[in-house]
Amino acid sequence: MSAKRRLIVTLGAAWLAVAVVGIVIIAVLPFPPDHASDTATSISNTLRLITWLAWPIFAAVVTGIVASVMIGRRDPNAPHAAHHLARGNPRLAGMWVGAVGLTVLALAIFGTLTLSNEEAAEALGLGGRAVGNSVGGAGDESNLEVQVIAQQWQFVYRYPGFGGFESAHLVLPVNAKVTFHVTSLDVTHSFWFPAIGVKADAVPNNDNTFGTQVTKLGTYRIVCSELCGLWHGAMSDNNAQIVSPSDFTAWVAQQQAADAPVMQYLPPYSHTYVPNPAAYGS
Amino acid sequence: MATMTAAPRRRPLSHTLTQWGVPLGIVGAVIGFWLGALIGEHLVPADANSNNSNAALIIAYIGSAVGFLAGMGFFHYPIGRLLGRARPTEADDAFMYGEDGGWKRYFRLNLDHKVIGVQYLIVILFFLFAGGLGAMFIRAELLQTQPSFTSAESYLEIVGLHSVLMIFMASAAIIGPFGNYFVPIMIGARGMAFPRLEALTFWLLPPAALILISSLLVGGFPTGWTGYAPLADEAVRGMDAYLVAFSLVGLSIALSGLNMIATVISQRAPGLRMTQLPLLVWGVFVTSFLGLLAAPVLLVVLIMEMIDRIGSATFFVPAAGGSPYLWENLFWFFGHPEVYIFIIPAFGLILEMLPVFARKPIWGYRVAIGGMIGVGALSFFVWQHHLFVSGIAPSLRPFYMFSTEAISIPTSIVFLVAIGTLWRCRARFTVPMLFVMGFMFNFLIGGFTGVFLSDVPTDFTLHASYFVQAHFHYTIMGAEVFALIGGITYYLPRITGHELNERAGKIQFWVMFLGFNGTFLSLLAVGILGMPRRVVSYDPALQGLNISASLFAFVLGIAMLAFLVMLVVDTIIKPRLARSRNPWESLGNEWRMPHPIPVHNFATPPTDWVLPYDYDRDDARPALLGGGASFPGLAE
Repeated sequence: MSAKRRLIVTLGAAWLAVAVVGIVIIAVLPFPPDHASDTATSISNTLRLITWLAWPIFAAVVTGIVASVMIGRRDPNAPHAAHHLARGNPRLAGMWVGAVGLTVLALAIFGTLTLSNEEAAEALGLGGRAVGNSVGGAGDESNLEVQVIAQQWQFVYRYPGFGGFESAHLVLPVNAKVTFHVTSLDVTHSFWFPAIGVKADAVPNNDNTFGTQVTKLGTYRIVCSELCGLWHGAMSDNNAQIVSPSDFTAWVAQQQAADAPVMQYLPPYSHTYVPNPAAYGS
Repeated sequence: MATMTAAPRRRPLSHTLTQWGVPLGIVGAVIGFWLGALIGEHLVPADANSNNSNAALIIAYIGSAVGFLAGMGFFHYPIGRLLGRARPTEADDAFMYGEDGGWKRYFRLNLDHKVIGVQYLIVILFFLFAGGLGAMFIRAELLQTQPSFTSAESYLEIVGLHSVLMIFMASAAIIGPFGNYFVPIMIGARGMAFPRLEALTFWLLPPAALILISSLLVGGFPTGWTGYAPLADEAVRGMDAYLVAFSLVGLSIALSGLNMIATVISQRAPGLRMTQLPLLVWGVFVTSFLGLLAAPVLLVVLIMEMIDRIGSATFFVPAAGGSPYLWENLFWFFGHPEVYIFIIPAFGLILEMLPVFARKPIWGYRVAIGGMIGVGALSFFVWQHHLFVSGIAPSLRPFYMFSTEAISIPTSIVFLVAIGTLWRCRARFTVPMLFVMGFMFNFLIGGFTGVFLSDVPTDFTLHASYFVQAHFHYTIMGAEVFALIGGITYYLPRITGHELNERAGKIQFWVMFLGFNGTFLSLLAVGILGMPRRVVSYDPALQGLNISASLFAFVLGIAMLAFLVMLVVDTIIKPRLARSRNPWESLGNEWRMPHPIPVHNFATPPTDWVLPYDYDRDDARPALLGGGASFPGLAE
């Protein structure tokens, strides 16, 4: 076996080892986000899948570069430079483009399928702009609608299915299918609940919807992820909770009672709360 | 008594204006600022309350930029031509091209593309280091989870300043110094197609920088470099500085694109085909189309925002019928090609340096050109991937996901060409070669992290997090700035006749590489764990990774500073003359030129300008062109 061939075999084995070890590590790594919703689980699986796909290719490119250089160094007498393919190899280039193209196509198809997946798109309503005027099922805990109203610099949550009371902290019943209606009163914010894999920009005069099914009890952190001015960094809710349905019912009753005196001052529930343009500037 | 001698000829105005260069420009800027403020105060009726101070400030900034250019002497020639005055004499031209030599020509309006290249380099380095100070400030602040030595307000100002200064730097980091200096030489031209326009594209940058930095005097701007409305509508007056400064840079990008396209198409030496041009020229050429087509959209959207702030036009104010999506779409329609304006010239420069140190011909020259064209063309069709979570119609998402992922096809071609060139090469691991390798490694990570962001489901969690920030820094800091520093090291002997200390350069590279990867690998992790960008306070659980990022960032900062010190010491304080005229033994035609390169490059167009990658032929070394001062200790 020539020195060159031995080197190729060594490097090939090194690549295989690095790729396999990487794949094993990726398999056991706890991929964020936290698995507190089916969306979060699906996102975390997708992250893992792309990392699985990316790692061996990344390792191969790095190994390829190292190999190219090392082979040249080991085999200084080879007539490498004057080789007839030293200036290019259209067939190889074509194969390369084909391989990368197929990978890309597979990725795009996979991503599109995830998106158009019935669960993701319909039940979970990864919908962008809301369609129609449904304003929450009445008191339906398993099909909960929550409005997220962002303003500088906090989130307020409104529960249209329960009389439209407001809360400064998000509380969700476990196993509920939640649809968030995200809007803003001033500038663009973004509602990011990392543990359940939900992120939706809060844009004034727009109702941005995002649905998921929450699956894990706990206390979580919600942050604003779109630069919204001075206290953007402090715009967080450290006490977002996913609770049992009975706790949720109790909390709702308590909240309704607490909010009763001020309910008459709240504007009626609506998808957006932008001031009337006709009144603007007067 | 009759005078025997003719009255001394009056010095042409162009001389007077330009030999005072920067000082006159500053006088003009002050007068322009004052005039603009005066006009602005009276233009907008006072009952529009605070809007008229925005009007005064915006018009004052524009006035100061115009005044600066007037003081520099930019309008002398066009107005003279309009009024039918005589053409500039030969003496005028000689002066304008700085044939008298000397350091003063770098501080005035000068039409020599090589002087402009050096001017660009100095200003780019200023942007890089001023922006870098901001980065150090940010990382120092983020050692703590709550505002510690700064207020939330000044933190946001520094974030804005760091980001926009770095965007200015990146817009011209390769195309400014190396494009202007080497493209005319590489195509065998006596200069650019429009030398005055070329000077203008450079001289728009200093006023842009000063206006931007002056925003600190009026409260800074709270939006970062993306300037999202309606936050920009409600921002304090520092926002006006952002709008005007970014407009000047946008104008510079568009005009530079126009000039480069015209130059490459029309100024090539007779018989030199497009397929015989070095890859740096191709990188610049492709990028120029992006600049010419994308930057005007930026200008439009910035002017709309100015009108919003001056005249309450409410283009972007939803309460009055405007839409934030208008800003987001127009901005990113510019913004995404913009990031390829950063990186495609770097591709060109890297592929230009690679064969020199691999000692092999470039592998797949035409494939590389195709790759760069492909990246450039696709870059116009991906902008909505910045809006995946913004509430756009969901039916649009699959297309932008596909188009974004498709960009990895032409990008991978650049890597194929690099690997093909390296295949079985006998590489010389000089400092520029280390930076080439560093570029490839970092850009590979930048590219792979981009795939995570292009995939809509994973973007739901990664968008606007530190993952995006780290991805972007991998492509710009890790790739473009590595290319810039490699390029400076590589071309310094050609530009000034100096070379940098090889051993110190290698140490500097490794420290920089380590500091860079340590910083941004930490930040990739921080982002994936749930930290949004541009925050001054964050989840205490993420403090450990933030401290790691900050400490590595300080290492990176020290490495950058070390480079600056090396550059200043080896060129100015203790000049280290290059071993030879062509220390890298490059076959590039630019290395065949005499040193220093004459003002107009060539007396007659070169006839033997060939593709400079024939490292596989023993008789490949082309003849040096004669003339110029010889090097001390020159071994040719």
